[in-house]
Amino acid sequence: MSAKNHRSISLILAGASCTLLGAGAPTKAVAEEASAWDFNTSLLYYGEDGDRVKDFSVSAIAKRMFVDDRYLTLGLTVDGLTGATPSGAIRQDVPQTFTRPSGNAAYTVPAGVLPLDDTFKDTRVAINGSWQQPLGESGLINLGASASREYDYMHLGVNARYARDFNRRNTTVSAGIALSMDSLDPVGGAPIPLTPMLDVGDTSNRLGDQDKDVFDVVFGVTQVLSRNLVVQANYSYSMSDGYLTDPYKVLSLVDGTTGDTLLRTPTPGVEGPSHQFLFESRPDERTKHSIYGQAKYFMNGKVLDASYRYMTDDWEIDSHTVDLRYRIPFGEQRYVEPHLRFYTQTEAEFYRLSLPDTEPLPAFASADYRLGNFDAITVGLKYGWRTRSDDEWSIRLEAYRQTGTVPSSQVIGNQASRDNYPDLNAIIVQVGYRF
Amino acid sequence: MNRTMLAAVAMLCLGTGCASMGVEPWERDVLAKAEMQLTTDELEAATDDHIYFSKEASSGGRGFGGGGCGCN
Repeated sequence: MSAKNHRSISLILAGASCTLLGAGAPTKAVAEEASAWDFNTSLLYYGEDGDRVKDFSVSAIAKRMFVDDRYLTLGLTVDGLTGATPSGAIRQDVPQTFTRPSGNAAYTVPAGVLPLDDTFKDTRVAINGSWQQPLGESGLINLGASASREYDYMHLGVNARYARDFNRRNTTVSAGIALSMDSLDPVGGAPIPLTPMLDVGDTSNRLGDQDKDVFDVVFGVTQVLSRNLVVQANYSYSMSDGYLTDPYKVLSLVDGTTGDTLLRTPTPGVEGPSHQFLFESRPDERTKHSIYGQAKYFMNGKVLDASYRYMTDDWEIDSHTVDLRYRIPFGEQRYVEPHLRFYTQTEAEFYRLSLPDTEPLPAFASADYRLGNFDAITVGLKYGWRTRSDDEWSIRLEAYRQTGTVPSSQVIGNQASRDNYPDLNAIIVQVGYRF
Repeated sequence: MNRTMLAAVAMLCLGTGCASMGVEPWERDVLAKAEMQLTTDELEAATDDHIYFSKEASSGGRGFGGGGCGCN
């Protein structure tokens, strides 16, 4: 047989192989695709004690793997929120009447009770999606978008992250950027900062819709230190710009000597506030810097996950967060994971318990307890198990407690005998199912 | 200044120390386990981020701090 014939036979065989492979390939691809979606779902209950905020939430993340390590991720969360939240006004020894944020009605808080705004009821729907794929031999790019809608709030966001491996993939350096464009349409309109709460039906100090933009940058390094230890360090920069005031929060205007809230008489025949309250005011810019470190250490089957975050911002809030999780397997399919989290923050420079009438009004003031000086602790336990079909269930139960203090220089007269900081106790129950 | 410091640390790490740290590809059995990933459960992490974003003055660190809710 000549060389030419050899070549022809080779080509025919090659062609036949291709046809066979070609015919077989789609079947295989279909089989792979059928199992290529991974779902992570959860049901959450978050409940604060008393009549405060309760949240029922359903979430799902669906992840689809494509060839060449490319991933599509889609997420959906629906939150149902009810309950009451501290309005910012201080307790009094007499009942206090407030106009609701809508401006359409009034409500009264009994003597000695922390004023809560009980009109809080909302449904939040949030969606997000991202596409991740390799870029070059050791790079990875992730592009994402997010949107959420509440009755009085809308969020639109885009983000991008690039990561690159070095040193036999033991070192990963990453950089990410995110832009968020939010708009607020507060119930009753956004009040003009530091103007008084008015009688029912008087909306003369309300503005229209407001906007807020947030720009985030994150740089990170992940390093494998040994067969059992991997660590990560991140630096984040975040700049918020726009309407950062909480349109539903107020401050009590008080007597500079007694510390009691100044009385007010509503217009005859109209319901209205019994005392003087001013809507809060925050700067329209905020810049935050964070340093975050995390270590994961494998110890004979058990895994310690420890992280720390330091945050500082130009509102003069500094915070420290330590988060510890310890996963203990028992048997082949089950584990428990105790969780401890410690958090502490200093108050914003414009945090005020109340505004005394003896001092000129500051440009910025807020009595929002979340901008105050407080510590928080979370204690939790998670239990997880894998089914025979390789699905995974988990349930976690956590308790969250915040305890705060008001700087003594801000406590005036009779305020000293009252509980000024609205401590918070909440429980978190989350059931997860992955399949 | 923080960014400069981080860049310096990253450069130092890449150029010297970390190059000799780490493991060979065949020693990644433990690191490849699901429970050894930096984020083991994305949904739980997102839930926690959302709760603490709503109740505290800090956010982000692990990832983007972002906006996304008018939380009360």
